Order: sequence, then C-alpha cells, then structure tokens
Amino acid sequence: MKNILYILGLGLLVISCQKEIDVDLNSADPKLVIEANYTAEDSTVRVMITLSTNYFELSDAPTIDNAVVTIADHLGNVSSVNSLGNGVFELSNYIPIYNTTYTMNVSYDGVNYVAECDMKSPVALENITFDYYPSFFGSQPGYASNLRYYDPVDTVNHYIAILTRNGVTSDSVPNFILQDDLLTDGNLVERPLFVNPLYETGDVIGIELRSIDQDIYYYYDELLTIAGGQSSAAPANPESNWSNKALGYFSAYSNSRKNGTVP
Amino acid sequence: MKNLVLFALLILSGFSFGQKFTISGSIKDATNGEDVFGAVVKVKELTNVGTTTNAYGFYSLTLEPGEYTLIYRSTGFDPQEFKINLTEDLAKDVELSVPLDVQQIQEVKVNAVKENDNITSTEMGVTRFDPKSIETIPVLFGEKDIMKTLQLTPGVKTAGEGNSGFFVRGGGADQNLILLDEAPVYNASHLLGFFSVFNSDAIKDVALYKSGIPAEYGGRASSVVDIKMRDGNNKNYSASGGLGLISSRLTVEGPIVKDKGSFIVSGRRSYADLFLGLSKEDIPDDTKLFFYDLNAKANYRFGEKDRIFLSGYFGRDVFALGEDFGTSWGNATGTMRWNHIFNQKLFSNTTVVFSNFNYGFDIGSDEDGFGISSSIQDWNLKQDFSYYLNNNNTLKFGINGVHHTFKPGALTGGNSSFNEITLDPSYALEFGAYIQNDMKIGSRFNIMYGLRYSGFNLMGEGTSYEFNELGESISETTYSSWESIKFHHGLEPRLSANYIISENNSIKVGYNRNFQYVHQLSNSTTSFPTDNWVPSSINVKPQISDQVALGYYQNLNKNMFKISGEVYYKILQNQIDYRNGADLFLNNEVEGELVYGQGTAYGFELLVEKKKGKFTGWVSYTLSRALRQFDDINEGKEFSARQDRIHDVSVVLMYRVNKAIALSASWVYYTGDAVTFPSGGYEVNNTYVPYYTERNGYRMPDYHRLDIGFTWYMKERRLLDHSLNVSVYNAYSRENAYTITFSEKDGEPVAIQTTLFKLIPSITYNFKIKNFKKKDKTK
Repeated sequence: MKNILYILGLGLLVISCQKEIDVDLNSADPKLVIEANYTAEDSTVRVMITLSTNYFELSDAPTIDNAVVTIADHLGNVSSVNSLGNGVFELSNYIPIYNTTYTMNVSYDGVNYVAECDMKSPVALENITFDYYPSFFGSQPGYASNLRYYDPVDTVNHYIAILTRNGVTSDSVPNFILQDDLLTDGNLVERPLFVNPLYETGDVIGIELRSIDQDIYYYYDELLTIAGGQSSAAPANPESNWSNKALGYFSAYSNSRKNGTVP
Repeated sequence: MKNLVLFALLILSGFSFGQKFTISGSIKDATNGEDVFGAVVKVKELTNVGTTTNAYGFYSLTLEPGEYTLIYRSTGFDPQEFKINLTEDLAKDVELSVPLDVQQIQEVKVNAVKENDNITSTEMGVTRFDPKSIETIPVLFGEKDIMKTLQLTPGVKTAGEGNSGFFVRGGGADQNLILLDEAPVYNASHLLGFFSVFNSDAIKDVALYKSGIPAEYGGRASSVVDIKMRDGNNKNYSASGGLGLISSRLTVEGPIVKDKGSFIVSGRRSYADLFLGLSKEDIPDDTKLFFYDLNAKANYRFGEKDRIFLSGYFGRDVFALGEDFGTSWGNATGTMRWNHIFNQKLFSNTTVVFSNFNYGFDIGSDEDGFGISSSIQDWNLKQDFSYYLNNNNTLKFGINGVHHTFKPGALTGGNSSFNEITLDPSYALEFGAYIQNDMKIGSRFNIMYGLRYSGFNLMGEGTSYEFNELGESISETTYSSWESIKFHHGLEPRLSANYIISENNSIKVGYNRNFQYVHQLSNSTTSFPTDNWVPSSINVKPQISDQVALGYYQNLNKNMFKISGEVYYKILQNQIDYRNGADLFLNNEVEGELVYGQGTAYGFELLVEKKKGKFTGWVSYTLSRALRQFDDINEGKEFSARQDRIHDVSVVLMYRVNKAIALSASWVYYTGDAVTFPSGGYEVNNTYVPYYTERNGYRMPDYHRLDIGFTWYMKERRLLDHSLNVSVYNAYSRENAYTITFSEKDGEPVAIQTTLFKLIPSITYNFKIKNFKKKDKTK
C-alpha cells in the first residue's frame, strides 16, 4: 500500500536529484554468513559460506571452505553437504519429503550453527495472463503479467514469485515479489506484477512461484526493506533462523513454474 | 481531594475583605471587530496590577473604590487610556485601532508600543504569532504555512525537508496536540506532509506551548499548538485571496448583523491535476491529484451576556488514476461554543467539539475491485470557567469528556482475490478536570499553578489480546458493549512562576506533567495517512512526560530587542517503537508488534527578537539532545532519537524598504539528524545487504539553506489592495541530503544521496477587496 502512496510524492520527486557520495562508515567484526537453500525442484542442497566485511569492501568478501555442513531430515537421518571450494557446499539427489522439517548444522571455528526450516509442498500456477497499461507520467506503455494461483484453503501459505523475461531471471532481493495469504486464504489469487520497463509484445515471460517457510518469508520481508537502496526510518538486520548470530538463512522450498508469451 | 485543592487555592489566593468593585468588558479590533486575545489592561496608578483578555477578548479587574487611569494595549495597536471613577461595578468595552502610520504600511502589524509582557507574564516556553505578521517570510512553493514558521523557532524541529510535521523538545511527532478552535486535528498535513492543513487566511492566532503548559490543555505529552480561527469582520464585507503555484485561496467575510455577529468562509484548493491535463504526457482520464481546505465560522452576540460561535473545518487529499486506483483522506472538525458572562467576575464557555479523520482506498474496477477504509472520530463536551477572583488571582477551572471511536481498518470487496476483513473497532471515554490559579504575590512575583486529573477508559465491545515476549498472541478476552477493558488515569500538576527582577528582566521556572492516551503508529520517514492512531489498552500504557524548565528574559533598548534563554529537562515514559519488520497495516494484533521504552530530552534555547521598526526578525539557536532506551532495541542500550539534532539555528529577517516593497530572508542551519547506517555488509541472493550494529549511531550531513522573498505592495485602489510575492527556496541551491541509501552500482557497493529540493522559485499574487458592500454607517 505504501508503494502506491509513494506515487503521490512522484510529482515532487521529479525535481529531486541523486548522486553518489562518500560516507565514513565504521568497521564491524566479521560475522559468519550462511546462505543455504534446499530446492525440491532439483533435490539439491546448496550452501554458500562467507564472512561479512566493511560495507564498501563487499565485492571481495572472504569465502569459507573449512566448515563442516550437514543436513538432517525429520527422522534425524544426517547427510553430509560437501565443500566444492570457493565457499560453496553441495548435496545433490536429496529427495524432499513435503511438509516436514529439515535441520542444517554448520560447524566452523569451534562454533556450531543450527537452523530449521519446513519444506512446503508446491502450489500450482495457473496460466499467466497479461494486461496492457497505457503510459503514465511519461512512462513507456506496455504489458504486465498477472500472477494467478489457487491458494490452498485453511493452511498458512507464504510465497515468493520470481520473474524471467526472455531468459533473464530477476533473482536479486529487490526483485522478489512476496505474497502471504492473510487476506487471500483459499482464493484464486490474481495479482498484477509490475515491472519497469513494462513488457512488449512477443516477450517470453516466466514466473516461478516458491512455497516458503513462514520464518523465511519474514526474513525476506525485512531484507526487502533494507536491501537495494531502500530508505527506512529504523532499518535493522533481518531475523535469521540461524543460531549463534550467524547472518543469512536456511530455506527449504518447493516451486512451480509457468511460461507465457506477451500477446 | 478536589475540595482540598479548592480550599488550598482559596487560602493561597489571600482573600481580602472590604468593599471592592469590578470593571469588566471586552476588547476588540476597531477595524474588523475581531476579539483581541491577550490584550493587557493595566492600572497606571498601581504597580503590577492588571489583567489580560481571554480567548474571547473578555477581561475583568476588581479594585478598591477610587479614581484610576486604565491603560488598554496589545501588540500592534495604539494604546488607549481612560479615566474611571470606580464607585460601582462598571462595564467597559474598548476598541483598539491600528496606529495611523502603520495603516499606511498596510497589513504589517508592528509593535509600536512599549511592551514588556514577555518579562512580566508567567508564560514561558510559549511561541505566539499572528499569521499576518509572518506573511512575508519566504516559504516552499510560496505556500504560507504556520507550521513551517513554527519550525523556525527554538526547540521546534522539522520532520524533514519541506515537511510540515515537527518535533518539540525531543518529543515524538504524535506528541503535539494540534487544536483548531479547540478541535483536535489528527492528521495535520497534506500530500505526504509537504503542506499543513491550516490555511493561513482563516487563522487569527497561533500559540505553541513547549513548557508550563496550562492545566486546561491535556492529552499529548510534548506540546500544544492552539490555533484560533478568525471570527470574520463584523463591520464590513470583504473578500481576499491569492493565486499561487500550488493552490489558490479565497476568503469572504462580513457582518451577519453589524457589530453583533459575523461570518467567515475560507477555501483553498491545489491544482496539480489541472496542470496534468495540459501536459503532453499520456495520462489516464479521470486522474485526480489535489487537496482542499474549507474553513467556516460564524458568531452572534445575543444581548450583553451571551455569544454563540460555530466553526468548522473540512479538508481532503484526493488521488485517483482512472478507475483503477483511488484514494482520499482528510479531517473534518466542528466546534460549537457558547460564551456566557454570569457576572462581572465569572466567564463561562461551553463547547461541543467533533473531530474525524478517515482515509479510504478503492483499487480495481467493478467486480474485481476492493476497498480499504479506516477512521478515528471524537465527540468532546467541555465546560470551562474563568473566575476573576480579585486583582491578584485569576482562576480557571473546567471539565471535559471525549468519546473516541477508533476504526483501524476494514477491507471490503466483492469477487476480488481478497477476503473481507474488518479490524475490531475500539471505543474509549477520555476525561479531564482541572483547576488553575494565576496569582500575583507582591509586585515582583507571579505564579501560575494548577492541577489536571485525567483518565481514559477503554471500553467494549471489543477483544483484547495478551502477548508473550515475542509479540505472539497467547490469549484473548472479549468484552461486551460499554464494559471497561482498561482504565488509565493520573494527576498532572502544572506550574510556572516568574520573578521580575526589573521591568527589563525576569527569571521564570516551570514544571509540567502530561499524560497521553492515544498514540500514532508510524514506521516510515514520511507522513502517511495510514499512520493509525491506537488507544491505550491493557498492553499499551499512556505516555507520560515530566518537564522542568528554567528561563531568563531580558529586554534591551526600550524593548526594541527581546532576548530569552531557556533550559529544560524532560523525561518521557512508556514510549512506543516497533519490532523489526513490524506489520502495522490491517493487523488485529498490532499491539504485539509494539515495544516500550523511555526517553530523555534536554537542551538550551536562545531567542533574540526585534519586533519594532522597519527591520524586524529573530535569531533562534537550540542546543539539545533527545535519547531513547528500549529493552528490545539496540541491545537495550540508550540511543539517539531520530530528532536528536544537536545544533539548530534559524535566522529570520524582514525589511520594509518603503510602503511598496518588503524584503525577507530566512536561513537555517542544523547538524545532522541521527540515522542508522551499516557498519558492514554481506551478500545473499546476489544482493548486497547492509549489516547494522546500532540504532541511529550515525549522523546525516549538516543541513543549511537560505530562502529569500520579495513582496511588492502594488498601488492601492479604492476597493482593492493587492500584492505580488516572489520567493526563492534554497537560494544558493545547496544539495542537502534528504536520504542516504546503500545499494550497488555495476557490482560495487555505493552510497547514494537524494536531494529533494534544490533552488525552487515561486510567485504568489494576493488581493483584498474591501468594503465591497457598504452597510449603514450609523450605529
């Protein structure tokens, strides 16, 4: 809703200007960053382990290989996730059991980091539809796709939608489209997904709908307010599901996909 | 308890016996019949004997029998003297006129009389002005705005570039009680805060109380902004208005019956959307983007003792894009007042106040559409008395009761993706009772002391939730209609005292405790209509502030220069903040998203004013801190509030070159607000993420800006006064930081500064058509 209201300020922002500046920032002690995803689609667990750095030195963050990473299913069966170098750990052919909890354990430098996450079952996408939007305040006219799916009744569902346009996937955090079912439980959800610039006739558009754990939804929701140049009155670190104050997250998720061509 | 207080007041008031007589009446402006508020009535023969008029121009003085010379005076008027022989109770109404030399320089009221009321009154931490006196000060887009002028005075900080919201002495933006003819205005801004809802043309007087808040006011923790609408000219009809870049204004006023009653209607509308129609860009049909304000007021005098006032305000912002999206929000207030003079010493005012703020969205068209709406509504009944006990004691006492209805939100829609949802409304009764005495002790010591008792009863029907430490709801209780859910109450002592060292200098001290029972939830930097108000409840405790202040006042060069220095220390309890990622929108369990803490604020304020002569203006300097401590934020460590702006300087200069030309300039400088910047970073999902170590641990860059204004009073016609105002905002085009954000550019992390307004010129044409329908001149 706030995003819509920001449009109100648009007329005023036309006369605003932006520039890159130098800011003198403090240095925090490096923290362990664990980005762990277990994807049902290809039955693979992928983990990236790095250390946090000074903000302006982000492009060469150190990676960690000498950690021990394991994943356990709801019955307690432990599997090892092996290092491939450059901070990457991977376990493939790890078949998911939907609606159960997985536990990941990362052991590094004498500290044990633990996170739990539910693997949700996928929710099917309906066919993508497109709507035409005329020019507004000088923007290019064009099409936006509609995200369409039936939300399962009486279960709590959380989603991320990720768009692909002509083979290019927008998978960085500011492009995430988050959706819960607090106001839409059990309905056919139809939501226009606006992009800038809008689509043109002939574009091939893909939508991936990930079913995610509630804690991960909140994590991304908080991440969205601070990542990608957002301005927030009281920015704070998103609440990670890792123990011992590691940064990052462990997300187990399933997904469904649809493609469509702009008419 | 209350009897005890009354008894104590009577003892303190030092009853003196013996035959005495009272002279009372009202003081009005001779040109338009408006009541003159705060005018001084003094007895020439007696030192430190006098009184001031109340908000309705009423005064009362009780003296031993004898012959006296009474002096009536007020800022901007010629003083008048009358000899009286007081052998019985007398009634004396006085009309004050603007000095002739000032009438030549039309519209500009200058302090032409010797004035040292700032030295002798108990008022401290009070900023008062008449919108006319500041009309030449340059402002953004040429839109005169009393709220932005207040921000140029000590202890008042703007909520952001070009923003009409403000913080007073380290308090929150929701801690200012903004009253328009006694009606609270819940959302005092238009267009995301860039303009206030107050149309200067309709306003007579603005007073901001920062400390020593009189006991008659209650309900907010930090300050009171008391705005009085004009009553309208009761002698002649006139119309005035202006054409500006953002909006146009028109005011019509005149007598209902000459000298008995008058009316005023004042409107303003912005027209950004009309320009949209002219632009070449493709814009959907039915695009709307505007705000408007309508003020109306009427008063009528029934006989000598009774007078009725009706006043109302209605304003809205409207924004719509074709049929797909529409939103509007706004305030409506109404006030009905009945003044009654029981006798020469007892003045009564009975008030019924209505106030409503609501917003609504309509999204999507026809069967797929849905709507969101929310509102807060008050009905307030007030009874206030002024009792002029004797020369040394003026008592004020009264009671009031407010019925609040909070409707935090509802989502309605037919066949849309959304399920309908209506958040539980809340109902509450808030009340206050107060008594206060303004007392003179000898010729050098004045003290105003009072006590307010306030309470807030949250009632059913409704549901209250209990939350665990994580803010998760663990149990709920439902209540039936009018059943008490939670009762909060407390005593609010108020005090201000003045020791007059000489006629040129004095020392004042003040203390006040204020309770605040309703709270605004806002987790953004901008002012949004969706920033809901919530009542105190089982979970939310009332905000309480305690403030002590000490001030020194010095006038120099026959009151040409007025200097004041004040220090204050304030403690705020039960302050509200939010959990990380708090969801404040359409959330029935919103109280679970809140965390509670304390605040302290302290500072020093210096003001040097020159109010006389061709060259007027002021310099204001504030040195202050505003700190907060929450167990759940910043690991429990104390941190700077966003408005913790350490140095703040404003310079306002107005120069009347000649009858035709006035120049003005204002310059502001302040050190940066507290802000949260990252002290590190990491990468997830191919995105650079800032890593924060403390809340508000950094500072924005220093801010400074010069605005200049030029007013040309064009040749006066028989019926027409008109002027042209040209102003330039940010004249040296300083790139002040509105926000600094952290993101990535070409794979490298960068910091981006956004500047909102560089040099912005504007032009406004103002006119006044005088006496266009002359009435019978005989009285």
